[in-house]
Amino acid sequence: MSDQTHARTEHDLAPGEEEQHSVGERIVGYVVGLGLALLLTATSFFIAGTDLVWQPSIPVALIVLAIAQMGVHLVFFLHITTGPDNTNNVLALAFGLLVVFLVVGGTVWIMAHLNQNMPPMDQFIRMHS
Amino acid sequence: MLGKLDWSVIPFGQPIPLIAGAVVLVGILAVLIWVIVKGHLPYLWHEWITSVDHKRIGVMYILLASVMLLRGGSDAIMMRIQQAIAYQSQGYLPPEHYNQIFSAHGTIMIFFVAMPFVIGLMNLVVPLQLGVRDVAFPTLNSVGFWLTATGALLVNLSLVIGEFARTGWLAFPPLSELSYSPGVGVDYYAWSLQISGVGTLVAGINLVTTVLKLRTKGMNYLRMPMFCWTTLASNLLIVAAFPILTATLAMLLLDRYLGFHFFTNEAGGNVMMFMNLIWAWGHPEVYILVLPAFGIFSEVVSTFSGKALFGYRSMVLATMAICIISFMVWLHHFFTMGAGPDVNAIFGIASMIIAVPTGVKIYNWLFTMYGGRIRFATPMLWAVGFMVTFIIGGLTGVLVAVPPADFMLHNSMFLVAHFHNVIIGGVLFGAFAGFEYWFPKAFGFRLDERWGKLAFWFTFSGFYVTFLPLYVAGMLGMTRRMQHYDVAEWRPWMIVAAIGMAVLSIGVICQIMQLVVSIRNREALRDRTGDPWDGRSLEWATSSPPPVFNFAFHPDVRGEDAYWDIKIHAQQQSLEHTAPEYHDIEMPRNSPTGFVCAFFATIMGFALIWHIWWMVILGGIGAFATFVVFAWRDHDEYVIPADEVARIDRINLEERRSLVSMAGAI
Repeated sequence: MSDQTHARTEHDLAPGEEEQHSVGERIVGYVVGLGLALLLTATSFFIAGTDLVWQPSIPVALIVLAIAQMGVHLVFFLHITTGPDNTNNVLALAFGLLVVFLVVGGTVWIMAHLNQNMPPMDQFIRMHS
Repeated sequence: MLGKLDWSVIPFGQPIPLIAGAVVLVGILAVLIWVIVKGHLPYLWHEWITSVDHKRIGVMYILLASVMLLRGGSDAIMMRIQQAIAYQSQGYLPPEHYNQIFSAHGTIMIFFVAMPFVIGLMNLVVPLQLGVRDVAFPTLNSVGFWLTATGALLVNLSLVIGEFARTGWLAFPPLSELSYSPGVGVDYYAWSLQISGVGTLVAGINLVTTVLKLRTKGMNYLRMPMFCWTTLASNLLIVAAFPILTATLAMLLLDRYLGFHFFTNEAGGNVMMFMNLIWAWGHPEVYILVLPAFGIFSEVVSTFSGKALFGYRSMVLATMAICIISFMVWLHHFFTMGAGPDVNAIFGIASMIIAVPTGVKIYNWLFTMYGGRIRFATPMLWAVGFMVTFIIGGLTGVLVAVPPADFMLHNSMFLVAHFHNVIIGGVLFGAFAGFEYWFPKAFGFRLDERWGKLAFWFTFSGFYVTFLPLYVAGMLGMTRRMQHYDVAEWRPWMIVAAIGMAVLSIGVICQIMQLVVSIRNREALRDRTGDPWDGRSLEWATSSPPPVFNFAFHPDVRGEDAYWDIKIHAQQQSLEHTAPEYHDIEMPRNSPTGFVCAFFATIMGFALIWHIWWMVILGGIGAFATFVVFAWRDHDEYVIPADEVARIDRINLEERRSLVSMAGAI
């Protein structure tokens, strides 16, 4: 129905719309992505159970690996690139990340300060006994 | 077999809901019989119920919102009367009924009046303003509408089958948990919002995609009419915020149905987590509603001042700033929960900051009017009434954004007055302005100005008489949601508010009269040009009502105020008389998918509320099967031949040429 879409799609792909690549190229991309994802997963399990690294660094390492994992998924499977054809997708991702950051971060912060205006519990019990 | 359902759930002992239910039922049956006897059913089915035309769906959204406005409005009248007479007495509404009424009033007004009204207007107008033929996903659009209607149906079903929630419009736990609300009221509330929430989400996705991906030639982002920008911002907020509501209600439902402990007092649940999550949705929701209204006022003010919108770019910036900041203020709904000064201060400051872009908008509208040739038609009256009213509401809002002040005013009538001040003065006035402004576009004839102005003045003054006393009552210490009270100082203010409600009701009656009178005089009020207000954006470039394909040719946009430019050029060149070459147009086929989906969703929702598990499975399978059948369709478009396009378009062109030549003769 919409011939106006065709005029715009040259530089603005919707999610799921692929640029023209040969099948071989695309398979290579997916295989590389799968390899990286598996590597990162295996590393995470290895790090979690090993005593080869400094123990307090493990949670940080896991977070770094998880973020790298997200990056791999975004680049190889969801095809987020920095090209001009991807502006909408990148902006949508940025907006989503911002909202998740605000809501999750805000929630953690709010819930941690939930009882700040309450007197300490032991004091409270002493007052009423 | 029938779960919790038996004859005892129908409130035979309570005359008010029973009589109301009976009247509505008789009304619906009468309309149905009239439709069937007159043979309108095929027309209704083929042209409206299964329609995937964005204009028709928009009209149906607005119709739903208008009917629900009457329902929510009668709740409001009942509450005002109750509080006017319940001084040192029980009034006429028993507590459990009164509690249901204020809960239903809030739920209906936000979810089934304000939301469908603005979504309907966006549906109707945005594709026209963008110069395109439909929204991005036409059938999904229909699904979204019908799921919203399902939610509204379930809420109203609770009037006669069972009960509605008595927990307020946001169903705060622990009151909404099973131990304190063992009845089906909260389940009615939660399931109808879950189902209509899906509808809202798909509408949001649809409109975001439409604005981002479907624009006519030359329609850059910075040439889009303001209403398209606010639609984009509002729907981005829908897509980001509504999943939070769905998740929160899902957790509440898990608590109620499967014995989870997300928000219970015992077993590690945390009640405050619900407040936190529901307001993380709830505050963006406020802007989901009011941003489109801002867009409507921008269009109206610019059209009726005969000037381009002042500070277009600052308006875009303000809109997008509100879109982001609206996600940073939600704690101001529960300053009193016990967080310390650092948390409260940050959210208090953020709440004051969000008033800045709103102030920018107010100044932009004022400067648009400044030096303009203002025509005070009905839409413009609503816009000016909005500016006055919204400033008062905004100022009281900044006041309660100050945590120490909020500690005094939290949960008081002052707060009730504040949010009615911004929602009625902002969203409802905006919806009415849009209704008056775009009605000729949707139906091809203008609305009666005399009744429209009467409706405005009664609603406007009635609003002040109703809600200013509530500010005072709040200052005198009256809390919200009181079924009765013993404080003598509050009484006079409650009586004044009830009188205001009567004035407000006259406004509503005038609005209905306006519709009746206009339909009767439609030949005299006929809009033959498609441009009754001397408009500036592309929706006025096509006929009223627009053909199903909206535009025979995609308009070529060369600047802001696209249609204004076209008109200027047309007058200079006295409309080139070359016969344009028409092409076939492909349009999406109508589909009953939305209606059938919603039918099964209604069955499923009803069964879930009453614990009728076999029916839940039946409804679920039905809805999924409908989706599968739609996904397997072979043909989803039909072709309008070029000759037909030419025939329809030439009629419109002739009207316009005669208009231009008349203007030239003068």
